[in-house]
Amino acid sequence: MNLTKSLLFFLAVAISSQASAHSRWLLPSHFTLSSEQGEWIAIDASASNEVFNVDKALSIDNMSIVMPSGKSTRPSSSYKAHRKSVADYFIKDSGTYKITNNASASYFSSYKVADKRKRARANKAELKAMIPANATGLQTTYGLTRVETYITMNNPTENYPSDGQFLELLPKTHPAEIVEHEPATFAFTYHGKVQAGVEVEIAPDGARYRNAPNVLKLTTDKNGEITFTPAQAGRYLLIAEYEQDAKNKTLADKEQGGVFLTFEAQLQ
Amino acid sequence: MNNFISNHANSISKIVLLVFFSLLFILPASAQANENRPANLEIKLTLKQQQGEYHPPYVAAWLENTKRKPVRTLILWRKEPKWLKDIRRWWRNVGRKDAKLVDAVTSATHAAGTFPLSFKATNDQQQALPAGDYTLYIEVVREKGGRVLLKQAFTLDNKAQHFTLNETAETGNITFTVTP
Repeated sequence: MNLTKSLLFFLAVAISSQASAHSRWLLPSHFTLSSEQGEWIAIDASASNEVFNVDKALSIDNMSIVMPSGKSTRPSSSYKAHRKSVADYFIKDSGTYKITNNASASYFSSYKVADKRKRARANKAELKAMIPANATGLQTTYGLTRVETYITMNNPTENYPSDGQFLELLPKTHPAEIVEHEPATFAFTYHGKVQAGVEVEIAPDGARYRNAPNVLKLTTDKNGEITFTPAQAGRYLLIAEYEQDAKNKTLADKEQGGVFLTFEAQLQ
Repeated sequence: MNNFISNHANSISKIVLLVFFSLLFILPASAQANENRPANLEIKLTLKQQQGEYHPPYVAAWLENTKRKPVRTLILWRKEPKWLKDIRRWWRNVGRKDAKLVDAVTSATHAAGTFPLSFKATNDQQQALPAGDYTLYIEVVREKGGRVLLKQAFTLDNKAQHFTLNETAETGNITFTVTP
């Protein structure tokens, strides 16, 4: 592993574990479109601590666009810069599009050698083979983090594809119906079942020009739901995370699901 | 000949009877129709003169019932479909759900001025609105300019009502009159 590769690898690992790391997000040029012939949109993808201020480009190799028909497609072109990736896509049909940038489920391990914290993209068995005998504090997590957003042209449709794996967000309030000062509800499932106790943060755009981050912190109720009322119109990043002990501890100690959802709250 | 006349007389009396019985049903029905005659809604809309680069605003006016369900779009002044979304509330609640209605109510934009507008209090299908509480919404959005959303609650209950909506950055005083 040369220096660049290991740096990239470290970044990927660091970015992939939430809470302590950068938020990953997609930011479409438009969430709401009106058109008879169709419209181009651009989608930025970046990982940053400041919501919607680009920092480190997110790979969009896995970007998928689920059209209102339910079929998946890919951006027509994309470009990776240092601080962001950009995808271009022509929205042709009326309805709601779900855009995702999810990697597949994977293992992340960390351990300490002489008080230095190290990370590896490996399961427990692989980790044992690659670390020195004096390593301590071994911890392996198996998980999947979703990075997603919705775009609607003309009439909204309930295009909420789901695969029943790890943490998933199911809009109860349609993403195109979220309005300032009006309550909105999202539900969460874990492995396809309603999940209580999911920790959710909702961060409004523009923290660079505010002293207070104004992040809303919520936990899903017994129905797996959160309800919140956006204080003002604008763009928001929702960060949800759920962790539990792994059922089979041979390859991982914990398993974890995450969701980053970008949405807009419209003017009343 | 006699036979001919009496046959006719017979038919005539049948017709008279038919008309008489028909009236028994028609009269109450038409009396009811009178009660349901839609009220007149008059709006004197003033779009303000603006300084600098000026694009005539996109304007929508519509009625919502107490369940916030839109029941009638009164006006839609607009140009390009791609900017319809900027008439935010109207687009969210009305326009995007009904492309045919959008086509039916569309007319051209207007530069600053005063526009006396008159409507019957009917729904989008031209049926009289039932008595009850409603809200008039007027949304004005100007490219490279501002947006305002005005609302005025009113009641359809055979009473005359008169409202003045205060001046905003985009509109002058707007009067709204409901006449039974």
